Amino acid sequence: METNLLSVSDFIALTNQTLEYAYPTVLIQGEVSSFNVNQGKFVFFDLKDNTGKIGCFMMLFNLRIALEDGMKVIVQASPKLTSLGKFSLTVQRIQPVGEGSIKKSFELLKEKLTKEGLFDDARKRQLPVIPKKVGVVSSTNAAGYADFIKISNDRWGGVEFLVADVSVQGLSASDQIISALEYFNSSDELVEVIVVIRGGGSSDDLAVFNDEKLVRTIALSRIPTLLGIGHETDITLAELASDRRASTPSNAAQILLPDKKDILNSVRHKLSMIGYLYQTELDRKLEHLNDSLKKVSNQISNLLENYLISLNSKVDKLTAYNPSTVLSKGYAVLRGELNPDSIIDIETYKKLIKAKVISVNEKK
Amino acid sequence: MKKNDIQSKIEELDKMIEWFESDQFSINDALIKYEKAEILAGEIKTELNEIKNKVTVIKKRFDES
Repeated sequence: METNLLSVSDFIALTNQTLEYAYPTVLIQGEVSSFNVNQGKFVFFDLKDNTGKIGCFMMLFNLRIALEDGMKVIVQASPKLTSLGKFSLTVQRIQPVGEGSIKKSFELLKEKLTKEGLFDDARKRQLPVIPKKVGVVSSTNAAGYADFIKISNDRWGGVEFLVADVSVQGLSASDQIISALEYFNSSDELVEVIVVIRGGGSSDDLAVFNDEKLVRTIALSRIPTLLGIGHETDITLAELASDRRASTPSNAAQILLPDKKDILNSVRHKLSMIGYLYQTELDRKLEHLNDSLKKVSNQISNLLENYLISLNSKVDKLTAYNPSTVLSKGYAVLRGELNPDSIIDIETYKKLIKAKVISVNEKK
Repeated sequence: MKKNDIQSKIEELDKMIEWFESDQFSINDALIKYEKAEILAGEIKTELNEIKNKVTVIKKRFDES
């Protein structure tokens, strides 16, 4: 069989072309060993299983999880033959797999980001009370999304939801969610709050929300964030970095929007209270008016009584001075000249008498 | 950004309660204010029961790098 004669470099180039054609990207699961970071930017580690081992290389800025020897991971990588003849994988993405590795990666990254202050309570912002415009980052096929929209519609109206349809699990999910967050943060018409939601899932599914770049994007969002990742127990780092966490997508809708039934009851109560206050004050004023009327009435009565008493007293005095009263006591009125032999008129209480004066003498 | 109308009306209703509880309360103005409160409550109820949410899925694709 004839074959072309190649130089070493040509062979390496040809091999790489073949690999690029046959295996542009591969997904490989294995255990990390000999992990190290060179010059603060280059990451090297081996990926191994029971019988085999492959060298891996990636740029530090692409490493979005915490990694250490012994962790089980899945890498998305391109195989390559280096110019030194070494076969290796150039890794584009890596994620931990299996409960143990996921937990370990989580703990390492949590410690690192906690020290940076990303999860401090002082950084948390209040969500708007009744937002008019809300950004939603979710998969529109997911049950969690449907629950969120339904509960929101039941609770409140007049809200505009702008939905970024993304994958919420899988290797590309974190990049899609980051892209959606950056979209909302750079849009001309800003939303008032960004809600990131997905339904419950396994630890592997939720590992997306422990991606370092995603966690940092949420922490740096200038728009307040509410995360409703559907599980009750484990909290992801993205939730720790968000301004508010909901236990489920439905709970996210409950946190985001008030329940109009509560508002309607409150309004009814407020109106009743106003009516009650009005009636109470009206009753009070009427009572005051009645009291005042009584007082005035009493005063008038007292005044009249005093006048009557005074009047009676005057009448008594006048009666005492009445000439008839004097006459009734036996006195008489004499009219005429008091000279001897003159005729005088004498008026008693009951008689009119004519009499002749016999004599008139001074009393001693 | 335009303030939420319902929220404004609820705040106005709260202010009316404060007025009824305050020293500024007068019988002369009370009836007018009570009638206004009834109208406000009716408007809030109508808006809450009738107004709907709007959901728009953004056309942009987020799975493209």
